[in-house]
Order: sequence, then structure tokens, then C-alpha cells
Amino acid sequence: MAAPLELSCWGGGWGLPSVHSDSLVVMAYAKFSGAPLKVNVIDNTWRGSRGDVPVLTTEDNTISQPAKILNFLRKQKYNADYELSAKQGADTLAYIALLEEKLLPAVLHTFWVESDNYFTVTKPWFASRMPFPLSLILPGRMSKGALNRILLTRGEPPLYHLREVEARIYRDAKECLNLLSNRLGTSQFFFGDMPSTLDAYVFGFLAPLYKVRFPKVQLQEHLKQLSNLCRFCDDILNSYFRLSLGDG
Amino acid sequence: MCNLPIKVVCRANAEYMSPSGKVPFIHVGNQVVSELGPIVQFVKAKGHSLSDGLDEVQKAEMKAYMELVNNMLLTAELYLQWCDDATVGEITLARYGSPYPWPLNHILAYQKQWEVKRKMKAIGWGNKTLDQVLEDVDQCCQALSQRLGTQPYFFNKHLNIWKFTVHVLSKSGLENFEHYFTIMPTELDALVFGHLYTILTTQMTNDELSEKVKNYSNLLAFCRRIEQHYFGKGSSSIRLS
Repeated sequence: MAAPLELSCWGGGWGLPSVHSDSLVVMAYAKFSGAPLKVNVIDNTWRGSRGDVPVLTTEDNTISQPAKILNFLRKQKYNADYELSAKQGADTLAYIALLEEKLLPAVLHTFWVESDNYFTVTKPWFASRMPFPLSLILPGRMSKGALNRILLTRGEPPLYHLREVEARIYRDAKECLNLLSNRLGTSQFFFGDMPSTLDAYVFGFLAPLYKVRFPKVQLQEHLKQLSNLCRFCDDILNSYFRLSLGDG
Repeated sequence: MCNLPIKVVCRANAEYMSPSGKVPFIHVGNQVVSELGPIVQFVKAKGHSLSDGLDEVQKAEMKAYMELVNNMLLTAELYLQWCDDATVGEITLARYGSPYPWPLNHILAYQKQWEVKRKMKAIGWGNKTLDQVLEDVDQCCQALSQRLGTQPYFFNKHLNIWKFTVHVLSKSGLENFEHYFTIMPTELDALVFGHLYTILTTQMTNDELSEKVKNYSNLLAFCRRIEQHYFGKGSSSIRLS
């Protein structure tokens, strides 16, 4: 009998089981691979490690970061990529790199850097789910971390200016969304009829962008025009997450 | 690969001359364009492209694999050069500061190191050990090796638009359609070659990085082939230990 696997992650809203991309990637993968996870949503009573979310706790150790958690689950024989060929496995790594380099900066910007979005939606949501006084500190830290990441990876040393970078990262993100839409075509999932790791990552990155209601929505508007990607997210939500959603 | 006439020039202040702070950059007439992506776009606007014959799905795949190389290989190279104490002490600081007099050589080298470490931390590589980085490199090489398979280049059967257009315009018709497909390298091949060749031929304090690449014989053959075909070297600079 396998030891219980507990996942601590950020909670849901707007019809999603979680609004946090990394948490969503892990939750989706667990559903696809049949891993029995006990999901602990972080709330005001949380006393866990800071800023490392999502975290998988087993009997013997704790694992953070989606890539490491997924690796661990695969070693425990919960493998959603069992049916994939070697080339498809290689493609998975490549597309995940594409998501992280081209899409993630703009998603981070939409959630954590764009002032209207951050102050009216993201910050209040996260602050309300943390114990005091963490609620005063951690959202700001997460925002700073996001800005740092964008500037250091896409900005130009030695002076890092957000303005110059903003146009570029949104253009790259829109191109990435178009590429994903072309690649998905009319298939249900990226590699045939069964969802795999790549589907978990794409779902994790796209679903919050698709569903969360923001004041400033340029990337969201672009995504909504790519109907096959929206259908992809809705299908996964309906098939894998319907039963665990209350009123959403 | 595009058959363009270039002159390679080494300058100590190359990073400062570049509009984006990154090398390489090309200087054409009165235009300066830096980094692979923009350079490829620039060359394409002038009428030379290696990937025109790819369809949309292939183009998406090519872009994805290019990001994989940037994400894993480039970051691993930076890590090894600037975050591995042994390499930093013995090779990197001396090499990076060599064009400058004291104390500028130390100051610039440490500044660059600080910048690289800051970036590593921001993308989550700050706490990685050398072994973890080498494992990431191995995973990346494995993916590249699997994608390359036994083919000479990463994309092997794409339509040579030029040949096709010429023949259609000259009304030779579409017989022998296969004739229009050629095996040509794309910018992905150039990018992979650039990184792998550098890893294989740069001397470091430990050879673990190049050993990881050498495990994949088709990647070695790929590098040798491009080296001999495009850089006209009679014998390869790639040593097998």
C-alpha cells in the first residue's frame, strides 16, 4: 500500500481547481497518471514552507518544483507518458522549453507585474489565503520575483527597463499561443487520445490565463480567439476536474 | 549554411558594441543586428532563409527545439563557466579579463559573474548542483539525439521552394515531385552545432560536459559532418578522449 502523497498548493477560483500555474500542472498530471494525491489547499492556517509551492509531501521527504514532482511520480509508476515514443518524449521537453521561454514571461507579467491586474486581482486573492503577517510580505515578494525573472531573462544588461521588454514578451507570447494552436490542430490532446505531461504543462499555463477575470486582458483576448486551445482547457476541466469542483 | 559572405572579427568590447548587450552581432552597411533570432529574421528579410520550406507544424517544432537548446544547453554552459568555482577560478576569470589591464580585468569579470549568478537565481538554477546541471544536459542531449535519429539534419524532407518555383514557372510540370524535396539544414542545425561544437572543443577543468555529449554518437557525427562540410576542415577538431 503506497504511502499517502500530499500536495500543498494554491487554491482555486473562477472555475479552476487552482489559479497557480505550477500547482495546476502537478494537479493535472496527477489526474492524467492516476496518482492518488491528497490535495491540501493553502489557507490562513498554513504553517508550511514559504514560497515553495506546490510541495509534495511523502512519508520520507518533501519535493518542490513541478519538474521534480513529476519525475518523482513517474518513478512511483504514475507515468502519463507511458504510451509516447522516444521522439514524442523529446518533443515534450522541447515544447515545455518553448512554454517557459516564450509564454511564461507574459503570463507572469499579466498576473504579477501589470499594476491594474496585480493590485485589483492577484494581490488580494493571494493575501486572503495567507496567514498574517505573511499576507503583507509574500505577495510583494512573489511580484518582485516575477519582475526579476522577466527582466533578467528578457531585459538588456546593464540597464533593465520594463517598457522595452513588455512589447517583446507579449509579442512572443502571442506567437507561442499561435504555435501551440497550430500544433494541437483538431486533436483532443497533443499526442493522440490520451493526455500526457505536455498536456499538463500547457493546461497549467493556459487555464489561469483563460479563466481568471482581469482588468487588463490583452493576452487573454488573444487566447480566446484560439478556439481549439480554449476547447482543450474546457475539455480537461470537464473531464478531470468536474467532480472536485464545488461552486467553482 | 546560407552561403553568405561574412568576415569574423574578434573584439574585446563586443558586448558593449552590441545593441542588446549580447554577442554575436552582425554589422551590415549601417545596420547592427544582434542575437540569433533577430539575425535570422534580418537575413530572411534580405531573401535568404533556411526554413521557408517547413510547414507550420514543423516550424513550431523547430522553434520549440531551439528554445530547448537555449533553456538547457546555454544555461548549463553559463553555469559551468560562471558558477562552478573550479572552472571560474582556473579559466573563466582569466580568459574574460585577459584583454584588459589590471584592475579592470578583475572588476569586469566579477561584474559579469555577479550578473550571471543573479540570472541563475531568477530562473531557479541558483541552488542546482553541478551534478544536477550535468543531468539536465544529458536529458537535453538525449532529446536532441532522439529527434535527430539517423538523419543528417533535424528536418529532412522539406520542399525546396526555389527549385519548385523555377520548375513550375518554366512549365516543366510537376512530374517527379520528389525531385523538389531536398535535405537541407535549418537554423536549428546551426544552433545545435554552435553549442555542441563549443562544448566539445573548449578545454575546461573537467571534461564532464563534453563527455555527456560524446555519449551520443549521432550528435558527434552531426557535428563532424557540419564542421567538414561548412567549415572546410580536412580533419576534425573534435577529439575523442
